[in-house]
Amino acid sequence: MRLIDVVQFASGSLRGSRVRTLLMILAMSIGVAAVVVLTGLGEGARRYVINQFSSLGTNLVIVLPGRTETAGIGPGMLLGQIPRELTLDDAQALLRSRAIGRIAPLTIGSSQISHEARNREVVVLGSTANLLEIRHMNLGQGQFLPAGDIRSSESVCVLGAKIKHELFGQQPSIGAWVRLGDRRFRVVGIMAAQGESMGFNTDELVIIPVASAHMLFNTSGLFRILVEAKSRDAIEQAKRDAEQILQVRHHGERDVTVIRQDAVLATFDRILHALTLAVGGIAAISLAVAGILIMNVMLITVSQRVREIGLLKALGAPAAQIKNLFFAEAILLSGVGSVAGLALGEIGVRMIGQIYPSLPVAAPWWAVLAALGTSFGTGILFSVWPARRAARLDPVMALARS
Amino acid sequence: MLFPDLIHLTTSSFVAYRLRSFLTGLGIAIGITAVILLTSIGEGLRQFVLAEFSQFGTNIINIQPGRTQTHGANVGIFGSVKTISIEDAQALRHLPNIEYVDPSMMGNAEVRFNGRTRRTMVHGHGHEMPNIFSMKVQTGSFLPDDDPIQPRALVVLGSKVSQELFAGQNPLGSYLRVGGQRYRVVGVMEPKGQILGFDLDDTVFIPAARALELFNRPGLMEIHVSYKANVELQSVVNSITALLKERHGREDFTLVPQEKALEVLGSVLDVITFAVGALGGISLLVGGVGILTIMTMAVTERTSEIGLLRALGARERQVLMLFLGEAMLLSALGGLAGLLLGAGIAQALHLMFPALPVHTPWLFAALAELSAITIGLAAGVTPAIRAARLDPVEALRAE
Amino acid sequence: MIQLENVSRVFAVGDQQVAALRGIDLNIAAGDYVSIMGPSGSGKSTLLNLIGLLDRPSSGTYRLDGGNVTDLDDVQQARVRSKKIGFVFQAFHLVPRLTAATNIELPLILAGIPAAERKARVAQLLENYGLADRADHRPDQLSGGQRQRVAIARATSMHPAVLLADEPTGNLDQATGKEVMNLLEQLVAQQVTLIIVTHDPAIGGRAQRQLHMVDGQIINQTGSAVNT
Ligand SMILES: Nc1ncnc2c1ncn2[C@@H]1O[C@H](COP(=O)(O)OP(=O)(O)OP(=O)(O)O)[C@@H](O)[C@H]1O
Ligand SMILES: [Mg+2]
Repeated sequence: MRLIDVVQFASGSLRGSRVRTLLMILAMSIGVAAVVVLTGLGEGARRYVINQFSSLGTNLVIVLPGRTETAGIGPGMLLGQIPRELTLDDAQALLRSRAIGRIAPLTIGSSQISHEARNREVVVLGSTANLLEIRHMNLGQGQFLPAGDIRSSESVCVLGAKIKHELFGQQPSIGAWVRLGDRRFRVVGIMAAQGESMGFNTDELVIIPVASAHMLFNTSGLFRILVEAKSRDAIEQAKRDAEQILQVRHHGERDVTVIRQDAVLATFDRILHALTLAVGGIAAISLAVAGILIMNVMLITVSQRVREIGLLKALGAPAAQIKNLFFAEAILLSGVGSVAGLALGEIGVRMIGQIYPSLPVAAPWWAVLAALGTSFGTGILFSVWPARRAARLDPVMALARS
Repeated sequence: MLFPDLIHLTTSSFVAYRLRSFLTGLGIAIGITAVILLTSIGEGLRQFVLAEFSQFGTNIINIQPGRTQTHGANVGIFGSVKTISIEDAQALRHLPNIEYVDPSMMGNAEVRFNGRTRRTMVHGHGHEMPNIFSMKVQTGSFLPDDDPIQPRALVVLGSKVSQELFAGQNPLGSYLRVGGQRYRVVGVMEPKGQILGFDLDDTVFIPAARALELFNRPGLMEIHVSYKANVELQSVVNSITALLKERHGREDFTLVPQEKALEVLGSVLDVITFAVGALGGISLLVGGVGILTIMTMAVTERTSEIGLLRALGARERQVLMLFLGEAMLLSALGGLAGLLLGAGIAQALHLMFPALPVHTPWLFAALAELSAITIGLAAGVTPAIRAARLDPVEALRAE
Repeated sequence: MIQLENVSRVFAVGDQQVAALRGIDLNIAAGDYVSIMGPSGSGKSTLLNLIGLLDRPSSGTYRLDGGNVTDLDDVQQARVRSKKIGFVFQAFHLVPRLTAATNIELPLILAGIPAAERKARVAQLLENYGLADRADHRPDQLSGGQRQRVAIARATSMHPAVLLADEPTGNLDQATGKEVMNLLEQLVAQQVTLIIVTHDPAIGGRAQRQLHMVDGQIINQTGSAVNT
C-alpha cells in the first residue's frame, strides 16, 4: 500500500463519521488554542515589562542609599531610611568615573501646590536637567529644568500634564507662578501626557531643581542617583566605579546599593518567562486529555470495524499495514486539530491585542512548536494501543463476528 | 421508571463498556485533578499569607503620614513635609478604647560589638510593641516605659543578631554601637523567623525617639494602635481621625485598619486562586468534549437497543433520561476520581516539599464536582436528545 | 379489537413516494390467531408496526379496543404499547449487556412497577419458559431458541392483549422454531391476540386465519374470523 493510499483510506474513514471526527478535532484544537493564547498573554506581559523598563532609560545604573546583602529589594532600600544619606557631593563625585556619562540625582517628597484658589497634594521630584534625557521623558511645552550648577536652587518648576490641567485648565501656564509649600516657583515647562508607566506617573508630578527640593523639604539626602553609563559595555565598569567612589567618600563603608537596571530587568524577565512556561504547561494538560479521547475513540472504532479489519487481512494486508492505517488516522486527527487550534489561538491573541492595544501579545515560537509537538505526540502515543489491537486481530474470528 | 432502575440501567452500560467508560472518565478526572491541585496550592498560599499577617491580631490600626493618593501609593513615606510625631502617639493614648500605642520607625544601620559588625534592620519602637504584635522576650525585658521624647539609649536584640554578635554569651548589660551611638542591651527577643521576607530576628529594637535621631528624620513612619476587641472599628477610626485632625489642623495622615488590609489582600488572593483554577478548567472542557464524542458514538452504536426500548413502551423522555444519566454518571465518577487524585497529589507535594503550603478548599472541591456533573449534563444533552428522537421503526431496523 | 379502515402508509424516498400499504381494511377480534404471509417487500412488517403503534398511517383510521388510536402522540402511543402490546422480533433484540432476567424485566421497569412485584413476575416467567437456570446469563451465553424464549417472556411480562411477532422463527432451525411456535400458541389459549408474520407456509398455516399480502394489499384471506 502506498502512502497516498494509506492517507486516503484513513481520511475516508474519518469523513465517514463526521460528527465524531469534528469533536476530536475540537478537543485537540481547544488544547492547542489554550496553550497559544495563554503563552501569548504571558509573553505579552513579559515584553510589556521589558518595553516599560527600556523606556525608563538605557544603560542605567541606579545608586540607592543603604546596603542590602541581596541584590533584591529590601525594606530599607524601599523606604530610604538609612543612617548615612547620599548627598549632592556624592552624586557629583560619580562623574569622575570615565565609564559614567551623565547623572541625575533624585529626591522626592510630597507637598501642597497652589495657584490662585486651586490647590492639591502633589509628589515633588527634585532633579537636574539631565533627568529628561536619562529617563527618556517627553516635554510637552516650554523648557525643562535649566542646565547648569547642580546646586543652584532656582525657583522654577515643570508641571505634569494632569497637574497643569487641574491648576490652570485651558489657561496658559508657562511663566505663571505657583506656590509649593512655603515657596513660590515659576512654571517653565509642561510634561507631555504619558499615562501610567511602571507605577510611576509623570502626569501627576511636579519637577523642581534638586537643590530647591532640599530646601523645600529641609533635607540634604537623595532618594537615589540615576547614572547613565557611556555605553552598553561600560555598564559594569560604571557600577564598580560608583561603588568604589562612594566607598572612599563614605570613609571606607560600603553603605550604598548600586544596581544595574538590566539586572532588575533580567530578574523580571526570568520570573515572567517561568510564569509563561507554567501557564502554558497547565494548558497543555488539556492536550493529554484530548490525546486520551483520541485513544478512546480509536479503541471503539477498532471494535466497531472488526469485520472490516478481518476483510483487509483476508485480502492480504499485513499487520504492519493495518497499524499504519490507524496511525495515519491519529496523525490526521491531531494534525488538523493542531492547525485548527493554532488558527483559533491566533484569533484569540488578535482579539486580546485589540482589547488591550498596549499589551504586545504574541505566542512565542517555542510555545507554538511545543503545542504542535505535544498534540502530535499525544495523538500518536495514544493511538499505539488501538493500532496494535487492530493489527493483532485474528482474521477468522474477525470475519465470523457479526 | 423508578429512580433506582434508572441508576441500574445506566450503570449496566457503564460496566459493559468498562474500558471506554474508564477512559472517558479519565479525561474528566485529569481536568478535575488539575483544578483541585492548582486551587489547593493557591488556597494553601492564601491561608499561609493571611496567617502570616493576622498572627499579630486584627484589632490593629496603622497610622501613616500623608494622604493616600489616587494610585494607592502613599507618598508620605518619601519624607513629606508633614509628619506624625511621638507627641501624636502620646496623645492617642488618652483616647478611649485604645489598648496600646506604638510609634515606629525603621531603617538600616551598622551594629558593632567588640570589633564585630553587622548591618541589620534597626526598628524604633515604643515600649508596648510586644503587646501589639505578640512578640516575646527570651531573656531580659523589652524597652522600658521611658520618657518618650528623651529615652535612655537601650537596645533589645533580635535572636539572630544576638547569636551573631555575642555567639552564645549573655549579652544583657553589654554595650554595643548602633550607627555610632552606644546602647546598653536590656533584652533578647525570642526567635520569630521570617515573615514575608522580613527577617524579624536580624533586627535590633531601640526607642523610637532615638531612631528618629539616628536616621535624622523629622517624623515617624507609622503609629500602630491596638484597640479593645469588643469595640467597633469605625468608632475607633473616627476618634483617632478627630484627634489627629485637631492636632494637625487638617487630614494629612492615613488610617489603615489591619482588618481592612487583610480583607483586600484576601480577596486579591481569592481571585488568583480562582484564576489558577480556571486554567485547570480548560482540561475539564476538553474532557467534556470527550464525553460528548463518546455519547454520540454510543447513540449510533446502540440504535437498535433504543428502538427496542421504544417498542417495549419507553417514552422519549425515558430514553433521554437513560442517556443523560449515563453521561452524568461518567462525569460524576471521573470528577470524584479527580477530586481524590488532586487532593492526594496536593498532600503528597506537601509531604515532599513541606515549605509548600497546600489546602484543599472543600468549597472548590464541591464546585469542581458540581461543574464536572454539569459538564457531563451539557455534553450528554445533544446525544441524548438524538437518541430520544430516533424513529423507533428505523431504529429497530438498524443492525 | 383491531379495526383498520382504508389504511395506507406512504414512504417518501428522496422525491419518490413508496406506498408500502394501500387501503388496508382489516378487523381482528380479541383472541384471534392471525398469520400474515407474502413476498418480501409486500408490506407485512409495515402493517405490523402500524398495529403495534410504532408507526402511524398516512391515511385511514385505526381503532384499538374501540378507541381511535390513529393520531396519538408519542407519549400516548408509548403508554398503549406498554400496556397492551408485546413484540417478538426475528433478531430477538435482547440488550446484550443485561442478563436474561433483566431483559425480561425491562418492560416492567419502564412501566415503573415496584421492584418486589417485578421480581415475582420475572421469576414466574423464567419458570414458565424453562429459563430458571439461565436467569443470570447474558444473551451471548444463550442459544437462539433460549434467546427467543427470553424475548417471548419479555413480550408477555406486561400481560399484553396483543402479541405481534415478526418472523419469530426466521433465525431458528425447524425444531426450535416449532418449540417457539408452541409457546406462542399457548398464549392464544390464554385469550391473547396473536399476529404473526412469516415466510414459512407450514407455520403460517397453523393460524386460524391467514392473510396474504402482495404490494401493500391483502389479496386473499383463508380461514375465518372467529368474530368481527
Ligand atoms: N422507512 C422506510 N422508508 C422507505 N421505504 C420503506 C421503509 N420501510 C419500508 N419501506 C418500503 O416499504 C415496503 C414494505 O416494506 P416491509 O418492510 O413492510 O416489507 P416486508 O413485507 O416486511 O418484507 P420482508 O419480508 O423482506 O421483511 C418495501 O418496498 C420497503 O422498501
Ligand atoms: Mg419484514
